[in-house]
Amino acid sequence: MSPLRRDTYPRLGGAGLHNARRLARLVLCAALLAPVSDTVCAFTITISNGPPKTVYLQVGVGGFIGQYNTGGTPANNATVNQESVSVAAAAVGNGTAQAMTTDSTVGASSYDGFLRCNVPAQLYIGGFYRTPGLGATGSATVTAIVPAALVDAGGDILSFAQISWTSGGNGDSGSEPFPAGGFSAGVVQTVGSIAQNQWAESCWTFSYSNTTFPAAGTYTGRVLYTLTAP
Amino acid sequence: MRPLPRLLLLTVLVVAVPADAKTTVIDDSGTLPYDAPLVLHWQQLSPRRPVNNRMTGTLTVRVKLHVAPWLRRPGRIYLALPAQQPGAMNASWSTQGRLLPGRVSSGSRSLVYSGLITTPSIEDVLQLTLEVDGTQLRQLYHVNFRFEMDGE
Repeated sequence: MSPLRRDTYPRLGGAGLHNARRLARLVLCAALLAPVSDTVCAFTITISNGPPKTVYLQVGVGGFIGQYNTGGTPANNATVNQESVSVAAAAVGNGTAQAMTTDSTVGASSYDGFLRCNVPAQLYIGGFYRTPGLGATGSATVTAIVPAALVDAGGDILSFAQISWTSGGNGDSGSEPFPAGGFSAGVVQTVGSIAQNQWAESCWTFSYSNTTFPAAGTYTGRVLYTLTAP
Repeated sequence: MRPLPRLLLLTVLVVAVPADAKTTVIDDSGTLPYDAPLVLHWQQLSPRRPVNNRMTGTLTVRVKLHVAPWLRRPGRIYLALPAQQPGAMNASWSTQGRLLPGRVSSGSRSLVYSGLITTPSIEDVLQLTLEVDGTQLRQLYHVNFRFEMDGE
């Protein structure tokens, strides 16, 4: 059987492309097979770095089924968690920041189950970014789409810039992947990043700065967090 | 006295390769698929500690080895994974019994058959799993295998 028999099989592409591929393959085979006696090609497997890019983000209650270290897998969770505070009438606008609390019950890391955050004072945020190729494409970025204001039933508004957060968690050291910050009203702002092939998590403690005198009411607004991979 | 070191080196090189050893690449052109696309996935979807960045994928390869030149002679057949891009790799496979299952790392080979060659061709179906360091993947790669015959 001739070593070139495989090249008689029908292939896609024109004759020029066919010949170029054959030439390239023969050159490659000659290089690979130099230590042995005959230059015969062998079967090939083509792999690429395309499909396996994976991201996961969890703010508050997440979608993990089980835990990582017991074979858990990421999934979706449609829950929207709340951060809230009630300010006593006598304290409104006095400039004393008011601690906010979350209705999320998640304090344990989805990474390993460690009790990272203390609920309801802290909101868990964590995720991972999986991509082949070391250092080739940078980090994944978490952004927050921040409305201009929180609104009550009467249409009164309260700027989102009144809300800020600190960052930290049980056992943390060094810088946080999702650092402290404050909302910028009406913009899309970056609130953290996740390096390639790493898990990142922080615990946010929100507070209301309480420096204005809004009309009495319940003000609500929704911030949407998005993890974007390059 | 100067020619002596050169003579010693020559002797060492010659001794390293036994005179009767003959390795021949087997024509496997009947193997299907010939150039198989393989979708890799993370062994560890989430990057736990210690971070495992290995990627793996499995495909079926219908191997057909043209061994007529060694008919009615004893021989040993190896599956070799030459050292190549994208770097360190491992391959493992199961078979349907004609060939031996095994595993191989890039730059080495593994025995898949030993004995008398009784037919002009040897066929088997391999479930071949390839394992690659995901951080080394930067483009599309053609990973080459080859079957080698050590005849006597």
